[in-house]
Amino acid sequence: MWAPLILIICLFATGIASSAAAGATCSADLPSRFERTYSPHRTVHLTISNVNGKIHISSWDKKTITAKASAASSVVIEDEVVGDDITISTKRNLRLGRADFEVWVPPDTSVIVKNYMGDIEVRGITGHVSVTSIGSDVRLVNVKSPSVDVRVTSGDIYFDGELNEGGSYSLQTMKGDLDVTLPAATSFNLNARALSENINLGSFFSNLTGSSRGPKGVSGTYLRGGPRLSLTAYAGRILLHKK
Amino acid sequence: MICTRCQELLSDYIDGALELGEQVSIERHLADCEPCRAMRDDLLQIVHFSHQLPLQAPASSLWPRIQSDITELRPRLWDRPFRFWARIRSLNFNLSVPQMIAGAATLVIVVSIGVIVSRRETPAVNSDNATRLSQVTPLSNTDLQQLEKQISTLSNSVEQRKESWDPELRIAFERNLFYVDQTLVECRHQLNDNPADDVSQELMLNAYREKVRLLEGFDKFKQ
Repeated sequence: MWAPLILIICLFATGIASSAAAGATCSADLPSRFERTYSPHRTVHLTISNVNGKIHISSWDKKTITAKASAASSVVIEDEVVGDDITISTKRNLRLGRADFEVWVPPDTSVIVKNYMGDIEVRGITGHVSVTSIGSDVRLVNVKSPSVDVRVTSGDIYFDGELNEGGSYSLQTMKGDLDVTLPAATSFNLNARALSENINLGSFFSNLTGSSRGPKGVSGTYLRGGPRLSLTAYAGRILLHKK
Repeated sequence: MICTRCQELLSDYIDGALELGEQVSIERHLADCEPCRAMRDDLLQIVHFSHQLPLQAPASSLWPRIQSDITELRPRLWDRPFRFWARIRSLNFNLSVPQMIAGAATLVIVVSIGVIVSRRETPAVNSDNATRLSQVTPLSNTDLQQLEKQISTLSNSVEQRKESWDPELRIAFERNLFYVDQTLVECRHQLNDNPADDVSQELMLNAYREKVRLLEGFDKFKQ
């Protein structure tokens, strides 16, 4: 007589235990959210330091900086404001959790991005831009910065923007292509290096003066010169286009 | 993955022709297997040297020789001295005077352009070389030794730590280290072939710095 009742109780208890366990697992996998808004009084230097995940930074017409991140629960994101410097960083962890950042900044913000893995995109910035990563495709779109420095070990680098008079622009990838699009009237001093001997300067090539041209390297002045454009690709191509 | 399977796939791996899954398996295996790593390095060297071999195209005179040899399968000794003239005569040279004049004019134009271009290019190349040679910053042995020492220290530190890393992180490290090492091998070969080439020197020095940056970056992953 008691046997069916005991069986029902056991089944009920098992059900509760398993659903609790499932719930625990789910909560461990739930992504954590990070969201901050900063209201600086002056132009700031923003540093985003990530390990694994996308980083997208766009300019907007507000004076505030908003950063949002969606991250695995194992990832710890910290931020620090010291004077004009804002630093947002994920703590390095032996468990490789993913954190994807979406950031909006005033255009004149100076941006420093450090990553290990995950694509990086920077749009509409007029402040200084520095990007270092190990394995990332990097896209700089509509960038009008006084200086740009991008270094990746593996990944393509795409630059579509303008060069400022007297500015310095350095793009380097060890395994990947460099694709640079500039307005036709841009003047610059070029130093292009490709171990793969694959440099295609398109129609910029014909007007390059005072140049040294070898299979692995091309240096010269385009129009009046001015901004220093340094392009280095090892196992990949260098492509230069006119907008 | 076992060594025999890895070695079967190494060639495709170096050509970049493997699926991502196989590529990752190989990289995992290479990380732990010294003999397979040595084989990979040997293959890389072979690939490098084979790229430098000159392309051997057969001489344009080869086919007429083969053709004449076939003809000579039915030899008639007395026929041989006349064969050349017979072949010339068999060609149809029915050119009018204007055609001949046009041909001669074309020849003159082509030769003139060739002379002008060669005269314009020669001094430019020389002056460029002179400028570049004056700007050469020789790759100093001291700098290289310092970088190699730094790399060795960092490598030891990273090697001790990487066993505790997340597998995905370890694979990313191994893959990128492989790219940098592959680049360094290539730079060394190019410098061996042309030690005074300043572009190769610059690229090599930069590749060393990139290796330091890579190792420093991963050395920060601590327990």
